[in-house]
Amino acid sequence: MLPLSLLKTAQGHPMLVELKNGETYNGHLVNCDTWMNIHLREVICTSKDGDRFWRMPECYIRGNTIKYLRVPDEVIDKVQEETKSRADRKPPGVGGRGRGRGRDESAAGRQAKGIGRGMEDAGAKGRGKGGPGAKSGGKGGGRGRG
Amino acid sequence: MSTGLGLESLVDQTISVITNDGRNIVGVLRGFDQATNLILDESHERVYSTKEGVQQLVLGLYIIRGDNISVVGELDEDLDNNLDMSKLRAHPLKPVVH
Amino acid sequence: MSGRKETVLDLAKFVDKGVQVKLTGGRQVVGTLKGYDQLLNLVLDEAVEHLRDADDPLKTTDQKRSLGLIVCRGTAVMLVAPTDGTDEISNPFVQPDGA
Repeated sequence: MLPLSLLKTAQGHPMLVELKNGETYNGHLVNCDTWMNIHLREVICTSKDGDRFWRMPECYIRGNTIKYLRVPDEVIDKVQEETKSRADRKPPGVGGRGRGRGRDESAAGRQAKGIGRGMEDAGAKGRGKGGPGAKSGGKGGGRGRG
Repeated sequence: MSTGLGLESLVDQTISVITNDGRNIVGVLRGFDQATNLILDESHERVYSTKEGVQQLVLGLYIIRGDNISVVGELDEDLDNNLDMSKLRAHPLKPVVH
Repeated sequence: MSGRKETVLDLAKFVDKGVQVKLTGGRQVVGTLKGYDQLLNLVLDEAVEHLRDADDPLKTTDQKRSLGLIVCRGTAVMLVAPTDGTDEISNPFVQPDGA
């Protein structure tokens, strides 16, 4: 299991982040990326010596300043489920690509993208293109929106 | 590459990690990546002191950033279980100075 | 894994708003975000640096230093947070021991 997969799974969960400078941030993980940059919401910042505290509605923390992250125990169980279901889901995900453009050549370029991204992203994209796609070719219309 | 091979054999085993700030964290390795970021499950910190025995602080599930790791070591659980932590005395480690 | 392209934090919503920026090395700056790029370089207007205790650089003091219009180099940016809603509070953690 990859540390970043665990972190990704921890989205929406509360966590504690200690920075290299000793400050700690308690908050709910909104988002993270492959650099371990993180976006927290409802944050409480604690100074290094633990005697001063700040509340902040949200904050962005650069990954390379992080020392460690403490995540709720149950998150690790969710990772396994998620990686399993993602593997199951992958092949049908290809079906989503046809949507939007009728032609295969033009779709080929975005195909890679469609596979790599999460379900939400693919869904949002499909919607945006939905109008013109439905007009130009009936082919794309039927798939992916299942 | 070589770091990856080395840690693969330790997955699901109890390991001992020394971090750059001089902490000793013991836990079960659940995962790692190329940057030596680690997932430590059921982890606890061992706080050493010359005045009293070793204190163990429960930490739980941790992701430790590779930048912050000095040493990763295998832990012999049988040997470890036979240690009387309350009798151990040691100087705390100083942080790594860059 | 998503989030490789789009940044984790959408700074657009902070434009023309007050932001607090912590930089590697320990400096802390507050200012109005006027611009930014994908490398997290930031343009801050009416920026004010919150000076730290000379003896203990971990502690911020009430002393300030006005910097005016500045660019924060992205590589040095450690943390970005909105000033709106950010306040110092008393210890919110119930546990009596800080362990």
